[in-house]
Amino acid sequence: MITFETVTKRYPDGTVAVDSLDLEVPAGKIMVLVGPSGCGKTTTLRMINRLVEPTSGRVLLDSANVADTDPSQLRRGIGYVIQQTGLFPHRTIEDNIATVPLLTGWKRDRARTRARELMDLVGLDPATMARRYPHQLSGGQQQRVGVARALAADPPVLLMDEPFSAVDPIVRAALQDELIRLQAELHKTVVLVTHDVEEAIKVGDLVAVFRPGGHLAQVDTPERLLGAPVDDYVRDFVGFDRGIRRLSFFGAAGLDLATDTVLPVGTTHADAAAAAKLAGEPWLLVVDAAGRPLGWAAVADLDSGNARAVLTDADLAPVGHTFRPDTDSLRAALDATILSRTERAVGVDASGRAIGTTSYERLRDAIRAAEDAAESDAVRTRQAGVKGG
Amino acid sequence: MQWSWIPQNWTIIWQYTLDNALLGLLPPLIGLVISLPVGIACVATRWLYPPVLGLANAVYAIPTLAVFVVLIDYTGLGNLTVIIALTLLSLCVLIPSVVDGLRSVPEPVRQAATAMGFTQVRRMIQVELPLAVPVIIAGMRVAVVSSISLASLGYLIGVLSFGYFFVDGEQRDYPTEIYAGFALTILLAIVCDLLLVGARTLLTPWARGRRAAASTMTARPAVTGVPS
Repeated sequence: MITFETVTKRYPDGTVAVDSLDLEVPAGKIMVLVGPSGCGKTTTLRMINRLVEPTSGRVLLDSANVADTDPSQLRRGIGYVIQQTGLFPHRTIEDNIATVPLLTGWKRDRARTRARELMDLVGLDPATMARRYPHQLSGGQQQRVGVARALAADPPVLLMDEPFSAVDPIVRAALQDELIRLQAELHKTVVLVTHDVEEAIKVGDLVAVFRPGGHLAQVDTPERLLGAPVDDYVRDFVGFDRGIRRLSFFGAAGLDLATDTVLPVGTTHADAAAAAKLAGEPWLLVVDAAGRPLGWAAVADLDSGNARAVLTDADLAPVGHTFRPDTDSLRAALDATILSRTERAVGVDASGRAIGTTSYERLRDAIRAAEDAAESDAVRTRQAGVKGG
Repeated sequence: MQWSWIPQNWTIIWQYTLDNALLGLLPPLIGLVISLPVGIACVATRWLYPPVLGLANAVYAIPTLAVFVVLIDYTGLGNLTVIIALTLLSLCVLIPSVVDGLRSVPEPVRQAATAMGFTQVRRMIQVELPLAVPVIIAGMRVAVVSSISLASLGYLIGVLSFGYFFVDGEQRDYPTEIYAGFALTILLAIVCDLLLVGARTLLTPWARGRRAAASTMTARPAVTGVPS
């Protein structure tokens, strides 16, 4: 756990980078510090490994004041990743990764073996890349090396200063996913600085929003930040579509899907029309013998007078995006619904079989229920907090 | 040009080549040993560099012969005087190349090294100096070549070098000897320069392939000896 106790950083010229900051980073969680440039988030990060010394206040690492530890010793126990990677141009990839183990006195062979393990962990092929130099790698690969290097000595704490800002959006998204995957495996205490609120919401267990002048505006879970920003500053900062984005944190499992709108291929038009009438739906989902969706049939087009007419896989509106209620969020379900010409989307199970269909009304009910649940959760947390404090 | 002069005088040609090579290489090497700590100190304390550079340039501005004359009172007529004089002159190129070399280390690399837990001394030895090698060697190339050519002047105070061929050729009105001294000086300079290029290649395996793009940028300040 990392604790800031009324920490202030004032520079000789009088600028205050961080102003009486109180912040707690729980062990094993990702805490994202986010805010506009000049808000003190990077200064805050650097006070943890003493690249910056606070003017007043204390920074505690597992209840020991970092100021009492020798800086070099302290830093060898804290992983550090920066935007420009800071890889050593004159060292091979494996030796870059082995930096901290070598500093702490490992034998070179053991350090290199460890480096190759880490290359596997971050998705780089040791056989082809271990002996290359940093400039021979792409930006995304270099950043992976940076992460591997930070993890080499298995430090409990990882500091990341805008780690993914310098790469293109597709690589950035991949690296963010990678971080989330690694964290699920490694459970480090991570402090990550970014100016990108999307990134903060995606990777953070907790997000600390900074105001210009080194003040904290709000520390909360991403979902709470989107759902209940404390003031206009945070509301503006998290962005205009926070209502939609917040739905990412609600599972689609709570969505009550219509099942009476799903009919197998071969159903007669007469039966289909009857089912549609009962369900009150203008569209029916036609599925194959295995239950996989084929497409949408328009109820208006059914020839209910013709006893021989059956549903086929011809003349159907495309299925569109499907979603998995057990793993996807309400946001995915809503997105699939909006994108569909029929204003309906199909929930499928792991094997691709249709479970049921959405509608705007069903989504609305699910969203309302999820928000109510989140609200009562928050109230309970606040009450627990009051008792604890 | 009398080609037969060369085989006839092979012994002294070889002897003076060795003497001139010593005077060309030793002063820049000693100069480097001095420039490393001075350059490191100049990078560490910002105010130090301008006066140090001013001093080195001022020494360079004194005619080489005058430096000899001043030193003769203390170190006499001999190798030592020439070596000290050429060492002082090399500082004007070498100190800026050490400073520029260290400054060419990207700030993120320096910061990452600190954050990984390098102590200052270890960071200097394992990260900053290795990265400064290309720029420092660019400075050494200039220093060695100019030292080889200035070594001729040593003959004026009796120190053996290619200078002998110029003075002797002039006195005896024998141009072949002058041409030979000319060619030998250039040849020695080229050989020493190639040795330094080889040393750089050995010391910086990491820079292969990116040298083409980077060398024109990093080497220039040191080559001209002008601080950036």
